[in-house]
Amino acid sequence: MLTRVTVILAAITMLGAVASAGAPTPPQSPAVRGAPSASSTTAVHDISGFWALSLDSRKVQQAKLLPRVTKALLDLHARQDVHAIRWCNPVGMPLIMDSGSAIEIRQGPSTIFIAPENSLVPRYVYLNRKHVSAEIYDPSTSGDSVATWEGDTLVVDTIGFHPTHGVTSIPGGGFRTDKTHLVERYRLAENGEVLSVRFTWTDPTVFSAPHTYEYRYRRLPPTYEPAGMWPCDPYDETRAQFLGDPAPFRTEKR
Amino acid sequence: MKWILVTSVCVLMVTATERLPAQTKPESLSGIERLEGDWVRVDPNGSGDFGGLASTFTPASLTPQGAAAMEAGQRQAAAPRGPAFAENARHDPGVPYIVVSRPCGAGPFGSGALGINPDSGGIHFVVHKDAIIFAPERGGFRRIYMDGRKHPDLSRWTPTASGHSIGRVENGELIVDTIGITPGLVTAGGWRSVETRLTERFVISPDGRHLTINYRWEDPAIYQKPHEYHYEFDRLPAGSYGLEYWCDASDPAEQQSVTPQSQ
Repeated sequence: MLTRVTVILAAITMLGAVASAGAPTPPQSPAVRGAPSASSTTAVHDISGFWALSLDSRKVQQAKLLPRVTKALLDLHARQDVHAIRWCNPVGMPLIMDSGSAIEIRQGPSTIFIAPENSLVPRYVYLNRKHVSAEIYDPSTSGDSVATWEGDTLVVDTIGFHPTHGVTSIPGGGFRTDKTHLVERYRLAENGEVLSVRFTWTDPTVFSAPHTYEYRYRRLPPTYEPAGMWPCDPYDETRAQFLGDPAPFRTEKR
Repeated sequence: MKWILVTSVCVLMVTATERLPAQTKPESLSGIERLEGDWVRVDPNGSGDFGGLASTFTPASLTPQGAAAMEAGQRQAAAPRGPAFAENARHDPGVPYIVVSRPCGAGPFGSGALGINPDSGGIHFVVHKDAIIFAPERGGFRRIYMDGRKHPDLSRWTPTASGHSIGRVENGELIVDTIGITPGLVTAGGWRSVETRLTERFVISPDGRHLTINYRWEDPAIYQKPHEYHYEFDRLPAGSYGLEYWCDASDPAEQQSVTPQSQ
């Protein structure tokens, strides 16, 4: 009897294994909010939602800057930042993470989309690949971001920043260049209601030591809905006069 | 024999566990995860350009009221916007110099309009159970709510270039319902108002390499019958990524589509 059962079970097992091997692997489903997915090796959490910073959300230390990073150089970047905003250019990192409006994060099977309500150019974080070769990547304001999960922490690695496009100044001091490397560590806390992001910037031409700070975003209600796109019209004369342009366009910026 | 029995049971359990994700996949997204990634619009019948392709679509049948609204809208769009935007540069004879007086528009193409009417730039989808992001490469993005919410009352809605979109899955296809779009032109002789309803049906080919978006515009005030056409897209190769479209309105070169040779 045992032998007969054993043979039947073995046959079922083989059939099951064959069927399993032959079936296409289903795409990974988006994970349930704050809960690990069914991924076999890595606990994947879902950081999707609308997130907002408040008065007590930022813990930013003073950056340790190299002697070459003078006040005049910092002021130049600050003026160029005003220029970028005045002309409605993509702002990029790091301002995209603290632009004065809520940010939206959508985590898909292979890509994470991040966009503040008041910017029309999002950033993408890729979960399924390594960095694009520097030989073919066009530097951008948000750089080339790839990520992996380390337990419950999403580690985002970004290079490929454009040295002058967008808003380049970094909280705590300094600015991004084409040699900048950013590592962000995203982690849900307080039962998924808080998203901690630790930013660590390194750049051999700007910082004398890695510059780390933390933001803690609070989750907005699931029913939250942005009112719509925030307009940005570079040809609005009233707006242009209000902002001014302390760093007019120079051809070498192209 | 006992070890065979135990091994068989263990293998069965492991097999069942491995297949669990498929069994527990949220029904509401069934099959739509394949939309995630990068796509580019194609001209499937060699029309030469997307304008030529649009000319092969059945033209919209407008009501007299719809035709009048379109005419008024086009007149308004063509009206001068004041001396600050006038094109007043001198051009030497014979030098190609096509001027766009307001380069980059209101932000870098960021209105979201390209999500309603994609151009030759890539488009990117990020698929989540609560919302799908539809982001044209040249700026802006659409958010398609998948969490069962309803449209807002249009009396409390500020129209946007991509409107308010809610989606559902039917037979493995994504069906998106959109209202609240700013008035404007629609492909193949159509027009839209804030009340106009757009229904899109996203159909992914069995091999996952081809996407068709079927458009259906309905508005009894504008159309005599629903206005329908479709766009086709190919999936971009693995490793593709979202390019940042850079358009700096402060750069004088942005005002010209042909850069003059240096003298």
